[in-house]
Amino acid sequence: MPSGALLLQSIILGLLLGGLYALLAAGLTLYFGIMRVVMIAHSAFLILAAYLAWWTNDRLGIDPLLSMVVTVPLFFGAGVLLQRGLLSRLRPVTLTMMSVLITFAIALIIEGLLGYVFSGTQRRIQLGYGTESFNLFGARVAVVKLIAFALAAVSLAGLYVLMKRTQFGWALRATIQHPDAARLVGIDTERTAGFGFGLGLATAAVGGTALSLDTTIYPSLHWHWIGPLMAIIVVGGLGSVPGAAAAALVLGLAQSLLQIPMGATWAQTVFYVALFATLAVRPQGFFGGRLAQRF
Amino acid sequence: MRSPARRTTWAIALSATLFLAACGGGGDEGGGEKSGDPIVVGISLPLTGDFSEPGKGVQEGYEAWAKITNDKGGLLGRQIELKILDDQSNADRVVADYEQLIGSDQVDLVVGPFSTRLVVPSARVAQEYGMLFVEPAGAAAEVFNQGFKNLFYAAPAVADDHYNHLAEHLLALPAGQRPTSVAYAAMDDPFAQGTAYGLKKKLEAGGVKTVVDEVYPPNTTDFGSIAAKIAAAKPDMVVGGSQYQDGVNLIVALQQLNYQPKLAAFSTAPTNPEFAKAIGNKTEGILSPTGYSQDAPYPSNKEFVEKFTAQFGKAPEEDQANGYTTGQVVGAAVQAAGCAEQGECQQKLIDWLHSNTVDTVVGSLKWDATGKPQGAHMIQQWIGNDIKIVLPADAKEADMVYPKPAW
Repeated sequence: MPSGALLLQSIILGLLLGGLYALLAAGLTLYFGIMRVVMIAHSAFLILAAYLAWWTNDRLGIDPLLSMVVTVPLFFGAGVLLQRGLLSRLRPVTLTMMSVLITFAIALIIEGLLGYVFSGTQRRIQLGYGTESFNLFGARVAVVKLIAFALAAVSLAGLYVLMKRTQFGWALRATIQHPDAARLVGIDTERTAGFGFGLGLATAAVGGTALSLDTTIYPSLHWHWIGPLMAIIVVGGLGSVPGAAAAALVLGLAQSLLQIPMGATWAQTVFYVALFATLAVRPQGFFGGRLAQRF
Repeated sequence: MRSPARRTTWAIALSATLFLAACGGGGDEGGGEKSGDPIVVGISLPLTGDFSEPGKGVQEGYEAWAKITNDKGGLLGRQIELKILDDQSNADRVVADYEQLIGSDQVDLVVGPFSTRLVVPSARVAQEYGMLFVEPAGAAAEVFNQGFKNLFYAAPAVADDHYNHLAEHLLALPAGQRPTSVAYAAMDDPFAQGTAYGLKKKLEAGGVKTVVDEVYPPNTTDFGSIAAKIAAAKPDMVVGGSQYQDGVNLIVALQQLNYQPKLAAFSTAPTNPEFAKAIGNKTEGILSPTGYSQDAPYPSNKEFVEKFTAQFGKAPEEDQANGYTTGQVVGAAVQAAGCAEQGECQQKLIDWLHSNTVDTVVGSLKWDATGKPQGAHMIQQWIGNDIKIVLPADAKEADMVYPKPAW
């Protein structure tokens, strides 16, 4: 029987991990909501952002968090270009299928370029506070994990306000819910979809930076992330950002707690068990509404 | 237009002719071994493909061996000539390469390629021709349970024996100082897990309790939970059967939980040049087994490091040392047996190696009947900002710091 201290420590670690998962999955669910695109390259962009954060710290000697000043607008722009230039040109009938192939290709290109530019050597950001932690009721909370969690919380809250309170957010949600009706009331759905895609990629810039604080990165790392993230957005209900966030917290916590009795190998399977259960019992997801129809 | 079928026929006929010619030529040479003839050593290496990095490293080791030996007058008064083929990291290719080297090129000796995957099929070819097969890589158990009689692994130890010196040292401590509980975390990988479990078996037999035994898949990136389990059990000692990123991430996660063991040992990661930087120089007291060190005091090592550096403009690493060691082992057998050619001589070489010890850049090597080396790895420890050899006693650069200072 695990001790109370270990349980508390695992719960804290699980919540911190879940918060990071939520941020990493937010963009992924947004793309699907906006235009039924399965974005395999999302985690490759995360690793790209992580490398840029590492590079900023290594070469310029400044805090990796500052790299977001450049990477967030850059990724937003790249997202708009990607959507306008490539994905919007796919035929609607085969969009979902073809988007898998095209974003798979993008993921390979990013991985290849990262290997070419930064080599396959595994990198880790060296931070003065990298191993700092503080005591919380007998458990330790690592500062870097807390920063990553805070980044996730702030960005997800920002995303929520943007979607619920701004005119752009209304237009984006209208585009997600019913593109034809949105066009009828005068929304430029193509432009909105482009910006929405950019927004998704901008979350990858924040997520990648958060990831880089406490992970050793290497070019092919993104393949380890895309599976769990895909599972999270399906469990959360495709297209639903709050759904993805809730699913991420629950699954992160479950993974952390299950490691105590089951070990790391079996605890990882919680994502896929949840994925199968969702598809079998409740294909629209446990936290979202009807399939991809609601924010 | 010529049909593809006919073209194939012509190709076969042509290669058959060439093959016959080659065999005829080889037969003539094989007849008279003049002392002026070079000793031709056939090697197949992965110079391209998956293993090209270590493959090229081993190649440099072989080249250094040939040059250093030739500069001293060669073996038995004959110069060494390397014949190196590229197997493209492909197991089918490697078989064809050794068939060619032994059968048609009539090389005098063969030495091994790189990686377990390629060592096993090539050793089989060498066995069929009755050739001695000393190899620089392939430490996994499957290499030694194939029943090879001609194979010798030219390194101090297989994975399970990497920590032997540490196990002996710890079990020899007085009861009051000996660590009483250990946590093990190992990657689900035959090599990484082998190192940790080799130590586990020996410590358990010596009465040291295992309190955590975690195995994680190679794709694990988050080590928070594993670290939490280890920290909660508060063992005296933590052992990581790690490669690189997992070792680094686990150490950082343990530091984040403010867990301070009396001893911490991790395989591979701590000897990586990037290691200290990756964990922010909080390396104090971390132990790691290593197969080769430029600083090891073995007599031939000083010469190797000096001459290798002069030849290649950089100091040798483990891959280069493995290649060089292989050369040294074969060289010692040739000197002792007084011959180097195909045929009966090969069995003399094999018999000599089975019953003798060879001094190399990685220490004295001897083998059991399966060709498994009977040594152990040196143990290095991070002391100050440098990694130093602490075990075995005859090779140490510094005394082991125990219990380790806080990290």
